[in-house]
Amino acid sequence: MTEAILFSLFSFSAVVFAFNVIFRKNPVHCALHLVGVLLSLSGMFVLLNAQFIAAIQILIYAGAIMVLFLFVVMLLNVRGEVPLLTPGAAKGFGFFFALIAFVEVLWVVVTHGGAEGTPQPPAPLPPGFGSPAEIGRILYTTWLFPFEVTSILLLIAVIGAVVLAKRKFA
Amino acid sequence: MDAAFLIESAVKVLIVLGFVLLGVPLIVWMERKVIGHMQDRIGPQRVGPFGLLQTIADGIKLFFKEDIIPAQADRVVFILAPALSVITAFVALTVVPFGDTITVAGRTVYLHITDVNVAILWVLGTTSMGVYGIVLGGWASNSKYPLLGGLRSSAQMISYELAQGISLVSVILMTGTLSLASIVRQQEHMWFIVPQFFAFVIYILCGIAETNRAPFDLPEAETELVAGFHTEFSSMKFALYFLAEYANMMVVSAIAISVFFGGWRGPFLPPVVWFLIKLSLFLFFYVWLRATFPRLRYDQLMAFGWKVLLPASLLNLTVTAVVVALQNNP
Repeated sequence: MTEAILFSLFSFSAVVFAFNVIFRKNPVHCALHLVGVLLSLSGMFVLLNAQFIAAIQILIYAGAIMVLFLFVVMLLNVRGEVPLLTPGAAKGFGFFFALIAFVEVLWVVVTHGGAEGTPQPPAPLPPGFGSPAEIGRILYTTWLFPFEVTSILLLIAVIGAVVLAKRKFA
Repeated sequence: MDAAFLIESAVKVLIVLGFVLLGVPLIVWMERKVIGHMQDRIGPQRVGPFGLLQTIADGIKLFFKEDIIPAQADRVVFILAPALSVITAFVALTVVPFGDTITVAGRTVYLHITDVNVAILWVLGTTSMGVYGIVLGGWASNSKYPLLGGLRSSAQMISYELAQGISLVSVILMTGTLSLASIVRQQEHMWFIVPQFFAFVIYILCGIAETNRAPFDLPEAETELVAGFHTEFSSMKFALYFLAEYANMMVVSAIAISVFFGGWRGPFLPPVVWFLIKLSLFLFFYVWLRATFPRLRYDQLMAFGWKVLLPASLLNLTVTAVVVALQNNP
């Protein structure tokens, strides 16, 4: 019962914030509502027994990345920018991608849903599920290769950023 | 989730909240009194015994001041920003253990509001959210000095957060847990300040920079930026920023105590008293620093964070990792 109330609360706030990200005129307000979306999602992660992911979501996305976003939005005056697409073309693209997403969801529902009758109760969680220790263990055993590839990718990004920052714009 | 648990949590939340709200005026009084004596003055002494009620009187005065919102300001964000500062500071205090268990009416009560298994990440997350209060306050004022102060401070806080987090990771490596309560429990025989002295030095330097206190109080350097991000804020909004700064000092000190100084552990006296003694010593240390050191220049500050503290914390982490690995597989 408590879980259902909290889930409705977080999902409702996430949707409201997400709408505001799109419809607000002021880019700084959009960025702030995006922070709201990220915080709501973090609440959902806690409900899914993923406390570590929830904390990381706040620390990295809401706390670090969005601050840099805000930084850029505040310093560049976005209002004076020429839009990339005409309003008509933007609407066309929007409808096109919305249609693709709708077909995808429909496909999943038609192929996987509704055949088994009554839904099964969720399986009990293994001990330590979602804890930092368990996530660390999985990362360094089962998913070692993707983990290391990601780290190399990040290293490349860091070096790239340094090279770009060092370039002389003379 | 039974009713007793709800009541217990509510009472604990109220106690911590009340403690911070009553503690902040005391700290401000202590700061003014100590700095006064360090500068060969007397400090506040007119209102109440030893001037103890001076900060309360100042608070009441701020309540009745006119609340000015600049015409060109972004109203909603301008109101939101100081509140955000205070909320993030208070939320971080939820995971701090301030005593051992006690028994009330047959129930074992843990003296922390909650003990999540990611407590340290939670604290780091909320302090990183604290940047918003300052950067938005600077932006929403729509005025040049606050904007510069806000930008400075966000750059400063993001830079020092990194070294702060890494210095805490070396303790996490030793204990194998992110929960503050179990870190305190593991310091029964030795405080972690002994094996992790360098981590503590890095942590406290970053902590002072995070809270924008002297000698790292660049965001509000009055000689160059008027009053930085809170130039345009008056009345209770200014008081909220003030409150947030001191609450943040408490957070940084409480984490330092829990991670490096054995938390509530100590001989003879009850645990809560030990926690309060350690907290007061830390806050005194803050004031002492402010009275002693001149402010750094901005480029010195950034260079110190990135070129000294960050490599030092990484080196400390590497050494700790090697030692822990050798101990586990001799």
